Amino acid sequence: MNADGGSAVRFDRVSRTYGGGPTGVAALREVSPQFRRGSFTAVMGPSGSGKSTLLHCGAGLDRPTSGSVWIGGADLAGMSQAQLAVLRRDRVGVVFQSFNLVPSLTAEQNVLLPARLGRRRPERTRLREIFDQVGLTGRERRRPGELSGGQQQRVAIARALLSRPEVIFADEPTGALDRSTGKEVLALLRAAVDEHGQTVVMVTHDPEAATWADRVLFLTDGRVVDELDRPTARQVTERLSRTDGQP
Amino acid sequence: MPTALAWSNVRSNRTSLVAAFTAITLAVMLVVGAGLLLTSAHGDGRLRDLMSLFAVTAGLSGFVSIFVVAGTLSLHVLQQRRTWGLLRAVGMTPGQVRRLVVAEALTVAAVACVAGSALAVPQASVTAAFLTRVGLAPGGFEVALAAPPFIVGAAVGIVVTLLAALTASRTAARVGPLEVLRDSAAPARVLPWRRAAVGLAALTGGGVLLRVTSTASLTDAVPLGVVVTMALCVAGSAFGPVLLRVVGGLLAAPIAALDPGPGALARAAVTVQPRRAAAVASPVMLTVALACTFVFAIAIADTSDGRERAGVQFWAVVLLIGTAVVYTMISVLNSTAMSMSTRASELRLLRSTGATPRQLARALCWESLIATCSGTLVGTLIAVVSLGAVSLAGTGAPWFGFSLPLYLALVGLCAAGGVLGALLSTRRARRGSLVTG
Repeated sequence: MNADGGSAVRFDRVSRTYGGGPTGVAALREVSPQFRRGSFTAVMGPSGSGKSTLLHCGAGLDRPTSGSVWIGGADLAGMSQAQLAVLRRDRVGVVFQSFNLVPSLTAEQNVLLPARLGRRRPERTRLREIFDQVGLTGRERRRPGELSGGQQQRVAIARALLSRPEVIFADEPTGALDRSTGKEVLALLRAAVDEHGQTVVMVTHDPEAATWADRVLFLTDGRVVDELDRPTARQVTERLSRTDGQP
Repeated sequence: MPTALAWSNVRSNRTSLVAAFTAITLAVMLVVGAGLLLTSAHGDGRLRDLMSLFAVTAGLSGFVSIFVVAGTLSLHVLQQRRTWGLLRAVGMTPGQVRRLVVAEALTVAAVACVAGSALAVPQASVTAAFLTRVGLAPGGFEVALAAPPFIVGAAVGIVVTLLAALTASRTAARVGPLEVLRDSAAPARVLPWRRAAVGLAALTGGGVLLRVTSTASLTDAVPLGVVVTMALCVAGSAFGPVLLRVVGGLLAAPIAALDPGPGALARAAVTVQPRRAAAVASPVMLTVALACTFVFAIAIADTSDGRERAGVQFWAVVLLIGTAVVYTMISVLNSTAMSMSTRASELRLLRSTGATPRQLARALCWESLIATCSGTLVGTLIAVVSLGAVSLAGTGAPWFGFSLPLYLALVGLCAAGGVLGALLSTRRARRGSLVTG
């Protein structure tokens, strides 16, 4: 245990500016949120508030202009592109809104991809277990084009879960899904936290989706402006309208 | 209306059509260039030997251009699926989509014809100077400008493009308006019946000609052998996606076993999307088959005549054929770059799931090597069959000598073109930022 204590992900005065000079756009301004191990956090805010940038920096997909991001005891700032890739393969899972799967690979091959890239051979039982967990037993050999949007998203989650990563970053995972399919996806993320002690950080627009989280962070203009524990949809909507109204 | 839209499409899809432009420009340049040399040599008795060589070069360039232009245009249409779907969704009829594709291609062809004609003049002059220098042409041989080569070249450019665009536009017109909602295109049938029919006809024709060649006199056997190779190449191209699935799959199996992550990705890319890979493999097959047949058939003829060509002269012939080889090399680079450029999002996705930049580069190299090697294998097979028949006609035995260094240089060039195309076109997606774009 080090100074991180129980944090799975820790941001330390992270700023991210796109473009330089006076025309540069600050997407994040010195934010320092922490995400406790085994917690489910929703990140909300109007578009352009920096919530996706926060997630990208956390997953090592983007590099902060200043400040540092820690996952477990590791500082992402010192890592090369290759090291970051290995991190995403083993310790971090990423789920996007859409286009999560490689079209030429089957569902099973997509799920196994990170392991294959790491030259590991996962046990068949684990693979069966994960397909059972996401409710896709029997569809292992389908290609993404032959699956519905919800099924594709569940394959993406299966891939993120396979290596039992410490943290799962999800960027609008329900954004392209209908309500009931969206609920299934959220239940899977919730189960990852409750049953396996993983940490989930999810960016979302949907107050209903945010209620599945333990905590909601509200971002505006690249800053964390508010926080809500054990949120209800009503509280979330109310806070959102308040943060929206801020200058 | 379609013309205006076509023009704006051409302007906004510049990258996608650059490949088609390059292919047509080069075809026009090679045909006009060879034509200029032919007309300049006409009437000079000392140049009779060279004239047939110029005619062959022009014919070869024209023949290869059919495949290259058709390949790039069909790739362009496949990659713009969503555009066609969107246009259908906002009310364009399938006929209008077809006309749009054709108009787009002809717009590009018109510009390319001008560029190709302009480039042909220096190209022909350089070739003439080279031929004089190595002693194949008498001193004072110079290129004289004449109208017919330009007219023929432009006609070749426009007609080849028109034929290729008409075929490609059928695919575009079949895209449904809902395609725009789908993330990945449903795989098209690998071997539509039209393709199968063309392939079978070419294969049968090639087979018949093969018998004729093996019993013909030697002077007839050499040109006949080239025609056999052409026919078999048409068949090979038609069956390309199927061949690639089989040959590429076989080549990929050990690679996927040796290098599980990147190798498996490459195998999936080749076997699941064989049409894309076939666009790369096809020009390689053509180059290898035609260049080998032509160069080694001359060698067979020389041997049986008891003639020994001076080293310089042999290499001069090789270099003339080389212009066609350069053309196909560029088209390999072209189609690889084209099939890769739209895959930026796929590459980013792979990186975000944990592929290192080095692994991605390896996957892309494997993929392009599988495609070029498949093309080489089929091309070599075709050349061996035709050369065997030529040799039977000349020496009575199907065995023939060939130059291994020349063969390896040819194959190496094609493979290098493919790998270079793959790596250059994906540089940004492999290494650049993961989130922007």
